[in-house]
Amino acid sequence: MKNPFHRSNDPKEIRLRPGLYGYTHDGAAERSQIHLRVETDGRGLLLINANRAVHLNPTATRMAWLVLEEVPEKDAITDLRKRYHVSAKTAKNDYRSVRDQIDQLIRPEGACPIHDLDLDLLPPFSEMPSAPYRMDLALTYRCNANCSHCYNSRPRNYPELTTDQWREVIEKLWEIGIPHICFTGGESTLRKDLPDLIGYAKSAGQITGLLTNGIRLSDRDYLMSLVRAGLDHVQITIESHIPEVHDRMVGASGAWGKTVQGIANCLDSDLYVMTNTTLLASNISNIAETIDFLAELGVPTVGCNALIYSGKGKTVGTGIFESDLGPILETVRHRTTSYGQRLIWYTPTQYCHFDPVQMQLGVKGCSAARYNMCVEPDGAVIPCQSYYEPVGNILQDTWDSIWNHDLSLWLRERRYVPDECQACAMLNECGGGCPLTLKHQPEQMPMNQVHLPRTIAEM
Amino acid sequence: MRYLRFTILIIVSLLLVLTSIPALAQTYYFSVDEEYVQVYLESDGSMRIEYIYVFTNDRSASPIEFVDIGLPNYEYDLSSIYGWINDQPIKHVAHSELVSPGIELGLQSYAIQPGASGEVKASIGRVEGVVFDDYDDPNYASVRFSPNWYDKQNVFGKTDLTVIFHLPPGVQSEEPRWHSSPNGWPETPETGFDADGRIIYIWRNPSANAYTQYIFGASFPRNYIATGSISKPVPEGEFFEPSRPSGITSEGIFAFLCVGGILLAFVGFIALAVRSDQKRKLAYLPPKLAIEGHGIKRGLTAIESAILLETPLDRVLTMILFSVIKKNAAQVVSEDPLKIERITPQPEGLRPYEEDFLKAMIDEEPRKRRGALQEVMVSLVKSVQKKMKGFSLKESRNYYQSIMKKAWQQVEEAKTPEVRSKLFDEGLEWTMLDRDFDDRTRRVFRTGPVFVPIWWGRYSPSSAPVGRTISTPSTGVPSAPSPRVSLPQLPGAEFAASMVNGVQNAASSMVSNITGFTNGVTKTTNPPPPPSRSRSGWSSGGSGGSCVCACACACAGCACACAGGGR
Repeated sequence: MKNPFHRSNDPKEIRLRPGLYGYTHDGAAERSQIHLRVETDGRGLLLINANRAVHLNPTATRMAWLVLEEVPEKDAITDLRKRYHVSAKTAKNDYRSVRDQIDQLIRPEGACPIHDLDLDLLPPFSEMPSAPYRMDLALTYRCNANCSHCYNSRPRNYPELTTDQWREVIEKLWEIGIPHICFTGGESTLRKDLPDLIGYAKSAGQITGLLTNGIRLSDRDYLMSLVRAGLDHVQITIESHIPEVHDRMVGASGAWGKTVQGIANCLDSDLYVMTNTTLLASNISNIAETIDFLAELGVPTVGCNALIYSGKGKTVGTGIFESDLGPILETVRHRTTSYGQRLIWYTPTQYCHFDPVQMQLGVKGCSAARYNMCVEPDGAVIPCQSYYEPVGNILQDTWDSIWNHDLSLWLRERRYVPDECQACAMLNECGGGCPLTLKHQPEQMPMNQVHLPRTIAEM
Repeated sequence: MRYLRFTILIIVSLLLVLTSIPALAQTYYFSVDEEYVQVYLESDGSMRIEYIYVFTNDRSASPIEFVDIGLPNYEYDLSSIYGWINDQPIKHVAHSELVSPGIELGLQSYAIQPGASGEVKASIGRVEGVVFDDYDDPNYASVRFSPNWYDKQNVFGKTDLTVIFHLPPGVQSEEPRWHSSPNGWPETPETGFDADGRIIYIWRNPSANAYTQYIFGASFPRNYIATGSISKPVPEGEFFEPSRPSGITSEGIFAFLCVGGILLAFVGFIALAVRSDQKRKLAYLPPKLAIEGHGIKRGLTAIESAILLETPLDRVLTMILFSVIKKNAAQVVSEDPLKIERITPQPEGLRPYEEDFLKAMIDEEPRKRRGALQEVMVSLVKSVQKKMKGFSLKESRNYYQSIMKKAWQQVEEAKTPEVRSKLFDEGLEWTMLDRDFDDRTRRVFRTGPVFVPIWWGRYSPSSAPVGRTISTPSTGVPSAPSPRVSLPQLPGAEFAASMVNGVQNAASSMVSNITGFTNGVTKTTNPPPPPSRSRSGWSSGGSGGSCVCACACACAGCACACAGGGR
């Protein structure tokens, strides 16, 4: 596999070609992983720690690349002046401005990109990437739990790629320009080659994550093998602080103890750790205490999502209507705020039912086939982890045919949005909610008349 | 039989360059192993040109990422032009940035790497204005064509060069004439018919090179192409004039002469094969970084908006004080130093910063109180930062400024003192955001009575006038009898002075040293801004007039209220 990192300070070798460039920034007390995706038209996408995306025009792309390559300023200015009709003064000022902005952007505790750096603001979901930012790799659909609400729609014995084939997948994903890989399933820790694949992705320059029920992570040695391989972050599902509730929901007796031990082990490592809890009728009555429990464990980031209407989720019957989510999330938010935890809400909803922006949870819209996709155990690519309709096979089909598959476009261009939503002022952010919910929960159709919520500031 | 013909040269040059490579140490070094050019002369007087180039890039050179093709004039149809690199369609076909007139083919991911070879094909479907009157025979038209050549220092090796003219349909074998061949080439071209039965002239030299200009030409009766499509020649000497080829006679199958002696009426001649760095430069667009996010953050309270608008901290403190008093949560028991007490029962709906403020004010020891109030402000700033995460600071500021303006507008447009007083009271927290609050308050209440809000007595018991019974403002619509309430009344100027003084002095009464207080906040939320003078109306009474800015931007989260520095 070719070296994905292009690092050279030698002006004689200055060249910038379309593709993905990876960098690591080590600050005084912080470390950042930066990826610059250069498109064929010269535009760029700067991804910082796989969660902050900055869009660059061609000039900014070139400057960002010069900055990240640590090209001496004099050479960088020379480069710009030989490439563009620009005065030395303008080139220097602009270059320094971009350099300062990037210096701040790549720091986890850096300046606010909107307020301090005054970056241009684009409407949410307005940019069409050439490839997802993240690819989930469902290594296997085997699982050591049996969640009653599991979104998996495939049989557990689904055919699986070999280790070499997964390596090939990882390699291809880099070539496509995808800097972030999350290993999932099923339960991907059941694959013996997980450490190997993590290491392979890491060596390629990708950021790696693991979505797991945490049972196998109760084995500290095993966890450390993943850490040593280069795992960056982990998300562990815990459904309740009450062992019986958790075990009943995940369909595995004794799972709670191992999961909690897994969380504790992870918190004792250098991993970025977060939990995830699906808010269902089965566990919301004690959700506040669950947050208390996670805070006591020391979990810094708490994730929550609503039922996914896929697999068993279509029939489990414990889903919460979107319009009922507000008070629950308010409780969760209040608790996490009081503990200084970060709260991440995942589920796209119709904002007329539940507006995550007003709840200060950020913009949540469907990102399937836009910011993320998923590779199934057999190499098929599906729009997201829960949308089980393949749009091609990563090893057999061209990326262009996958990315521009009718279903990919249908989702990316939001062709599924109901007519009732078209006139809504919040459509841009909302996007009509989760397509799977729309499909399987028609009673949650959007309200016909949507009004922006009145605010205290409106006089 | 010899004919001296006036011919027009059409030179088409292909320029090879590397666009994205700045010339810090660019190296362009390649061979053109094969060049195969077909020129179709159509009945309507247009020309179709097809190229096949085989390049080999030297191992030490930079990648070949662009191929530019110069065209004889601007009368070409870009939509008719296609390119292929190694039989893969070239997506980037555009007007050339360097060759004018001309087009460029961006090889993109198929760029020919150092040490590699690549085949580039181009089809220029339509170029007009390329046929000219024959200088010597008014019944003839002529065309001349020159494939491109390159700077000698950039190319190496031999080129197997073939140029084929397809004469207009219908031209008979005895009619056309070729022009003299370039030096070193066979004296006569091969002749024949193409698949469409058109006469073709074929010039081929397997040992040509890519740095010499070769000119080929042909003449044919003008009646085979549309009359209006033939252009007049440009007088000799006005434009580029290449070496004059000598006329030769051919005894080939058509046994006709092609002639030189020629004026070359051609403007768009391109001599360079490789774009110079200077010509290669692109138009500069300032760098632009953008991030997806929201626009306006709605729903902030006036006090939170004050943080957003970089209101001085003393003003913010006063706003909180007025807020808790208006809500009947507290009342002043001592004006200097300021002491307040909670009113029981406490009203519902107090904001967290109001709760914190009340707790902080309990402490009567000045240093402890100041420290507690600083914590209140730090928490408030951080809270606003969090709420602003992902929203546009600029748009949000404009939004809250507009609310402030609207509040003033309502007050200023009020028809009666009662309504004016009522609206002023209702919108006070918003009008206090105005940097011109003091002067504007004085102007608004310069004349006429003011109905002092009830809560003012809880703030300034010593200055509260004796109340008297008056009517609440009428809506002008006869209805049920108006309720009667008791409101204190003051002359407008007196009230304005009282209000302004209250706003100016409240904070200093709470923390005494405004500058020290502010520094205590900003050292936590932001590098301390240097003290600065206030604008008019922003001086803090009792603190010597120094400005204390609310610029308490922590900037840690992504949603600070302001950007540091005293204002």
